[in-house]
Amino acid sequence: MTDIAAMGQTTKDTARFSQGSRMVGLVSRAGLTLAILAVILYGSLANPVFFTAGNFVNVLMSMSIVGIVVVGMTFVLVVGGMADLSVPATIACGAILSLALQPYIGPVPAFAVAVLLAGLTGLVNGVLVGYVGINPIIATLGMGTIVLGIVQAAVGGVIVYGTDPSSADFVKSRILGVPMIAVIFIAIAILGNFVLSRTFWGRWTIATGGNYSAAQASAVPVRAVRAGAFVITAFAAGFSGGLLGLTLQSARPLVGQGYEFSAITAVVVGGVSIMGGFGSIPRAMAGLVFVQLLTNVMVLQGVRTPIQGFVLGLLIAGAVALDIALRKRGVA
Amino acid sequence: MASAASALHMRGIGKVFPGVKALSGVDLAVRFGTVHAIVGDNGAGKSTLMKILSGAYAPTPGTIEVAGTEVRMKRPADAQKLGIRMVHQELNLVPDLTVAENIFLGRMPRRLGFFDRGGMVRRAAAILAELGAAIDPQQRLGDLSISQQQLVEIAKAYAAEPRIIVLDEPTSSLSEHETAALFRILRKMRDAGIAIIYISHRLKEVLDIADEVTVLRDGAMIETRPASGITAAEMIRLMVGREVSNVFPKTPSTIGRQVLRVRNAGDGERFHAISFDVRAGEILGLTGLVGAGRTEVARAIFGLAPLTSGTVEIDGAPVTIGSPAAAARAGIAYVPEDRKGDGIMPAMTVRENISLPVLRRLANRFGRVRRGAERELAGTYVRKFSIVPPDGERRIGLLSGGNQQKAVISRWLATDPKVLILDEPTRGVDVGAKAEIHGIIGQLVANGMAVVMISSELPEIMGVCDRVVVMRDGRASVPLAREGLTEERIMALATGEESAEGEAA
Repeated sequence: MTDIAAMGQTTKDTARFSQGSRMVGLVSRAGLTLAILAVILYGSLANPVFFTAGNFVNVLMSMSIVGIVVVGMTFVLVVGGMADLSVPATIACGAILSLALQPYIGPVPAFAVAVLLAGLTGLVNGVLVGYVGINPIIATLGMGTIVLGIVQAAVGGVIVYGTDPSSADFVKSRILGVPMIAVIFIAIAILGNFVLSRTFWGRWTIATGGNYSAAQASAVPVRAVRAGAFVITAFAAGFSGGLLGLTLQSARPLVGQGYEFSAITAVVVGGVSIMGGFGSIPRAMAGLVFVQLLTNVMVLQGVRTPIQGFVLGLLIAGAVALDIALRKRGVA
Repeated sequence: MASAASALHMRGIGKVFPGVKALSGVDLAVRFGTVHAIVGDNGAGKSTLMKILSGAYAPTPGTIEVAGTEVRMKRPADAQKLGIRMVHQELNLVPDLTVAENIFLGRMPRRLGFFDRGGMVRRAAAILAELGAAIDPQQRLGDLSISQQQLVEIAKAYAAEPRIIVLDEPTSSLSEHETAALFRILRKMRDAGIAIIYISHRLKEVLDIADEVTVLRDGAMIETRPASGITAAEMIRLMVGREVSNVFPKTPSTIGRQVLRVRNAGDGERFHAISFDVRAGEILGLTGLVGAGRTEVARAIFGLAPLTSGTVEIDGAPVTIGSPAAAARAGIAYVPEDRKGDGIMPAMTVRENISLPVLRRLANRFGRVRRGAERELAGTYVRKFSIVPPDGERRIGLLSGGNQQKAVISRWLATDPKVLILDEPTRGVDVGAKAEIHGIIGQLVANGMAVVMISSELPEIMGVCDRVVVMRDGRASVPLAREGLTEERIMALATGEESAEGEAA
């Protein structure tokens, strides 16, 4: 990169420049809505099963478990923490403990302990990333491996089964036809949106991700804010894991595998910047809806699994490339 | 050397962005072997003009001639091929590479198809020697001071054997001493026949170095004159379109009780045994060459870096400051030197930038930020300091440097501090905004605030401050009273020609 070329990309404080890029920003925002509509249209035309209440309930159910993780993961990306790769471990922690502890302390305390222990993992992640300054990818990967190991050792590496049918009935119940899990997910998403977009903590999160040293020099407790994002994600993943365990009434240590990837895909496709400082829960939710509907259509159409993975991988790469391009143009 | 030959002739240059006419009808003629200065307020069109010259934008309409031949530049690489090189305010260097590697980045010398390290180091050494810069080409760039890095950036441009070099605010991070060294280098390049386009806010320097001066205002060319036929006051008048009677207005204020007292402060590395105090209604200047440790002292007092020795007292009570949040609670505020790096969150609005340190106070018991109160707070400062445009919902990154600075100052005034530390508050802002910022500082001390102002600009220090502390190599002079203080005396202290143990104020 030569210095002159770099100058062409220096797009900071020229007011004129924002005019064109605002349009680009609008297109990027409306783009996702259009994409969702396109998938729905295609799905409805291509497969008679797609546009049915039953199918949508299915999509909503599978969306809800990962969606709760997406809420947390949004905080991690916005704060500039890249990604939390310990999610499979915290989900397993939530799922296994909420089932395994049922005979001893009852279903509700079991669930609470499971979520709290998952949150503790997040606290360690947060301290490592925010205070010690370890790269988030490495810190969460390491913590995930450790926690998964402990959980596996604790339950002897076998499948754990539920012993309390009433708790299973609760998560499978419906409110006005909407599955309980979806109701919980939507409530958590609304709460997450409130925290990120309305509270001082959310503002601190966005500021820290936007310009760490400026946030620090503005008396924002940047280390705590960074750590907080990982605590939030771990709580979300633990909660999500607990619900998953109750739904399945069984849990293996690898039950959470792949959720980290799905959550990151949804957040990134939703247009939340991987470089931090920009993003919202509604955006991440739009990304989630799009990815889930697309996956659903592919499954219904009998697209083979490797191809599905290929498509999702392309989506991530495309979304990240778009993010970088928009950043250069001063939009994101 | 054909010193009268035309190096660059831009004719009728215009540029329209959606909704805004950034430039219209600009003519610029620069000859080889001369230094041509371009001055103008922020937003006058200097950077747009330079982007056109660097090939980043195409002019519509207008023509560009380089060395008498009309050219069309579609991309920055075209401008480089024509021998046009830019030296930016923000350095484009790789800290982990050596000086020589940076100078030849992307154009590494080769021998028999292999990278020729020895040849590269020799050529880099020759170029640095030619420019009179005492820098070892094999040093890691990141180990150099900012001013040395600036020289490397210039050497890099020079090594490409350019016909035209454009320098954008090259002295903004240099002390006066280092500026003089830079000017020696520029004169050498000029004498070698290169056309130099020099963009600066510092009018005194412009008069010092330039052969010709072009003034831009509101996207139009106002006038081009030989530098010998214009004064700084005239330039200011042409730039702002009005007379500015006193660039450094000093509002009288009554000096009261001691507010901040620093004794024997040191960080064990960059500064040692720093002692000074600031009283209510007083502006204490902190100056010295770049690298003398001024910013480090301020950052440590504000909790951005640790103090390893010494004490800080506020209103007579010792305080321990481990973080900016603690400093804010103690009543200390700091407006950092590097506005883009440490000052603003560019993607956030002016309102969000102002409210950041007081967000908790603006939040209800559920942590929800009360929008109305926040808007009101931001609106108050936007009006009070005439932030342009007067819209708190505008992304701060879109504002001019001066208006960004006013917002950053507002952010800290919102915390109601007892001491305000301003680090180079007027760097990179235009003359109009500079006078406004000085006016704001004047108001603050008139209302009893204690202010510490770090500045490399001696006229600013001399014009604004009540007392001055001069730093050199991490040590501070005793505070010197403004009466009887001269720029020469400060320079003597800053460069070590006079011992720092002068008489107390």
